Amino acid sequence: MSDAYKRHRIVGILLAILVLILVDHLNSPTFAFNMGDGRAKTTLMQRDASACAPCGAPCPSTRE
Amino acid sequence: MSQVASAAPPVREAGVDRFVVGLALLGMVVLGGLIYLETAPFLLALFAIGGLLGVALYHGAFGFTAGWRNLVTKKRGAGMRAQLLLFALTALIMVPLLGSGRENMIGAVAPVGTSLVVGSFLFGIGMQLGGGCGSGTLFTVGAGNLRMLVTLLFFIIGAVIGSIHLPWWLDLPAVDPISLIDSVGVTGAIAVQWLGLGAVTLWVNRIERRAHGEIEHGELRLLPAEGRAWRALFTGRWPFLWATLVLAVGNALTLLIGGSPWGITFAFNLWGAKALQAVGIDMGQFEFWNWAYPAQALSDSVLVNIPSVMNFGLLLGAMLAAGMASRFNEASRQKPQGRPFLAAVVGGLLLGYGARLGFGCNIGALFSGLASASVHAWVWFACAFAGSLVGIRLRPWFRLAN
Repeated sequence: MSDAYKRHRIVGILLAILVLILVDHLNSPTFAFNMGDGRAKTTLMQRDASACAPCGAPCPSTRE
Repeated sequence: MSQVASAAPPVREAGVDRFVVGLALLGMVVLGGLIYLETAPFLLALFAIGGLLGVALYHGAFGFTAGWRNLVTKKRGAGMRAQLLLFALTALIMVPLLGSGRENMIGAVAPVGTSLVVGSFLFGIGMQLGGGCGSGTLFTVGAGNLRMLVTLLFFIIGAVIGSIHLPWWLDLPAVDPISLIDSVGVTGAIAVQWLGLGAVTLWVNRIERRAHGEIEHGELRLLPAEGRAWRALFTGRWPFLWATLVLAVGNALTLLIGGSPWGITFAFNLWGAKALQAVGIDMGQFEFWNWAYPAQALSDSVLVNIPSVMNFGLLLGAMLAAGMASRFNEASRQKPQGRPFLAAVVGGLLLGYGARLGFGCNIGALFSGLASASVHAWVWFACAFAGSLVGIRLRPWFRLAN
């Protein structure tokens, strides 16, 4: 049975995704912190306990 | 049965696809290593859970969209009952956890109002046109489905547009989240959830019995329909029950480790917003991206954003499973074009926009919402199902089979 895909395309797509992730990470405060920049504000636990929805939306009762 | 038919046809045709399996494992090692080295062990654990969920979704062919459609068009309810069983089991595990008063643990609760009703209705239409829901889109993309890649791309675009519009929608009539745990306690919340889910099960059974005279309880099968269990464990297809157990435990572990239940679509928002920032658009001009959580996520690495990390794991897990089943990219032998392509575009946009307005998808709003005993999940369920009915009627125009 012939493959339903071209191998180089799959490798290329995965590499492109990895590069995007790396570019994003290398420009982040987390990477800066790991590199010794103590002033960088990392957000390892991203949370807003006052939010009213998982996306961080505020409560309707607090809307002006 | 509830299956994302395009992702996992029933019979395995060849041996393991070593190239795809090897690539998926390499991807897991590289990305997992990066997460371990650069972030924290709990994120690596969530990445692994995401991978396991991807395997379960693919091997279990656990698609919410097809389950709903099968009930409407074929009057078969096994897929729906498998989902209802999943919700009931997960509520039994997660409601006591959320009601235990442990700090740093938040359920998937959300406001009930105009935004939720409109968003979930649009999402329901999008499910049927796009060919999958949040989890369905992601795991079929992981399995190499090109049409679903189009859906995912427009899912992301729709989600970003939705995030820009959400503050306006939030100003329309709505009430604050209603948690049954706060209202009636842990035992009461589980009882109400089970009564509700039981009532829906009776309704599903009634539809199936009236159409066929009997009920096929495929969702209760303990062993695979074909082949040996140990072989099916690695190469599929899993009985629904196996996938149900993995998804329930996976969501509970996500809550325990990450502090909040499983969610998928916020990551799509984030990826889209980061792409726009990369081309020079200041997302800070939009209210949504000034709220604490979105702002934190936008300013930092995707590798510290839980939904993103779990989605990466899920994609690779589904790829691994598709390789084990030797079906990677199998659904893409026919390239999407014409009206089916248009359906993926329109469906994707509706999915993204609807997910943002509806506070999540079938996972974040429905599955995790019901498991958190939040009233908004019931409203989401009803409105998305109504939207799904519209979507099913629209499918023939887009030359999609019902």
